[in-house]
Amino acid sequence: MIQFEHVSKNYGKSTILHDLSFTVPDGQFLILIGPSGCGKTTTLKMINRLIEPDAGKIIIDGRDAGQMNPVELRRHIGYVIQQIGLFPNMTVEQNICVVPKLLQYDKTKCAQITRELLEMVNLPYDSYAGKYPSELSGGQQQRIGVLRALAASPPIVLMDEPFGALDPMTRETLQEEVKKLQKQLNKTIVFVTHDMDEALRLADTILFMNGGKIEQMAPPEEMLEHPASDLVRSFLGKPRAAESAPIRVEDCMRRNPYRVSKERGVLECAELMARSGVDTLLVTDGNEKYLGVLPIRNIRLYGRTVDSIVPLITREVRTVRVGEDARGVMEYLMNSGDSYVVVLNGDDTIAGIITKNSMARIVASTLWGETT
Amino acid sequence: MKEFFSVYGAMLGRSVLVHLGYVLLSVAAGFILGLLLGILLSRLPARWSAVLLPILSVFQTIPGIVFIGLLFLELGMTPATVLIALSVYATFPVLKNTYVGLTQVEPRYLEAARGCGMSPAQALTRVELPLALPTIIGGLRLSTIYTVSWAVLASMIGLGGLGDFIYQGVASNNNLLIVAGAIPAAIMAVVLGALLDWLQRKAIPRGLRKEART
Repeated sequence: MIQFEHVSKNYGKSTILHDLSFTVPDGQFLILIGPSGCGKTTTLKMINRLIEPDAGKIIIDGRDAGQMNPVELRRHIGYVIQQIGLFPNMTVEQNICVVPKLLQYDKTKCAQITRELLEMVNLPYDSYAGKYPSELSGGQQQRIGVLRALAASPPIVLMDEPFGALDPMTRETLQEEVKKLQKQLNKTIVFVTHDMDEALRLADTILFMNGGKIEQMAPPEEMLEHPASDLVRSFLGKPRAAESAPIRVEDCMRRNPYRVSKERGVLECAELMARSGVDTLLVTDGNEKYLGVLPIRNIRLYGRTVDSIVPLITREVRTVRVGEDARGVMEYLMNSGDSYVVVLNGDDTIAGIITKNSMARIVASTLWGETT
Repeated sequence: MKEFFSVYGAMLGRSVLVHLGYVLLSVAAGFILGLLLGILLSRLPARWSAVLLPILSVFQTIPGIVFIGLLFLELGMTPATVLIALSVYATFPVLKNTYVGLTQVEPRYLEAARGCGMSPAQALTRVELPLALPTIIGGLRLSTIYTVSWAVLASMIGLGGLGDFIYQGVASNNNLLIVAGAIPAAIMAVVLGALLDWLQRKAIPRGLRKEART
């Protein structure tokens, strides 16, 4: 447990932290966020005494950090910095074992720790332990940076914008890994970021700071629902507003797909496809009700052997009803490899189709406003 | 040529050994001194080194002849005179490179070292010195090569080395003698330089080599 009690810090005349008090329970993932200069990094660095408070106390597991030997204290608190800071003169194994070595663990124990930790992030020991940081990608380097902080199993880990310098894909992977590691190892993590998405994804509690004071301290859902001020609201940003009003399938479908009645001839359908540049037609019965789809593949394979298109119709394409949430369709299109789904009205008539293209358009316009 | 070696061969061999002895002893002393002073200087606030480094480099520009002359008046004709003078000269390149190498270690490594719980001494020996090593060895190489040529001055106060040949050659207008002193000195500088290049490759971990080249 980490307790801040009336902590203040000034640099010259400017006040960085103003009578700050809060508590982080064991096993919690606390995110410090706020505009630059709000004091979040200062707050973080006070926990391992890289910065000393001018007034107030920081109590870690019941002991006043100010009374402890700072070097000794830091060996029992993991620390990950934004610029990674792996020592370039040391191998991956040596980097991971920096703190265990300072604590005088023996060699076999160090090797065992390295092996276990590398396994957790799916980097095989045999191919990675002997590498130097310059031989790794940025994402791999920061993975090792995180492992280095975990090596001596400290109960508390501090992370100062650890993923700020990584590309979005790598960042997301590492966020997931860190969240998983935290759950698995039950660590207390204090994490500084300026990225609200990151905060919402990772935090148990978000501490929003502004001008050296606490603007709001709340779990992510609560902060989303009841932002304490306009500043917090502006950090939460607009795109997330879309979550309260889900996009429905009819919002992102194309309304006039090529359709034919089942009475049409095979040749006629083939010609229509060729003329309009599509590879599939939707087929309806006499009452406009959806029967299935006619892919050009089926015409090519069996078209010569039949007169009617009915035997060529397939129902293998997924259908959804008007009014459903579009999110499921989106996920289906991303994951299944199908290029479209058919949208039906309540009475089984065809409302339209959703393709990856039409989906992308609606996502883009939600993110960035109306596009042409 | 054969005649030359039968007359001067033994003397040449002895001179090479004496010369080499001066170089190795004074470079070793200069290296230790330069390393320690460089570390000390890098621990002081930057404004100190801003004053001290220029003073030291002015000292470096005092001609070796003058300095050996002054020491000679004080200590007399003993090998110590030569060794002290050469050591002092060998110190400066090492000192300067140690200082530069240490102050150029990126702050993120220092922060990481501190954040991991290294004491200042541990950060120095485990992180800072290894990272500064390529630059420090560069200073050592410079010292060594300079000292090979400065050691020629030893013979000026009658203390042997390859300078004997050069001074005698100059005095008696005998070019052969000058060359007989100059060529071994040149070879010695090249060989020692190559040796240090090899040491540098050996001593620097693989992870640093890419950075050391740039």
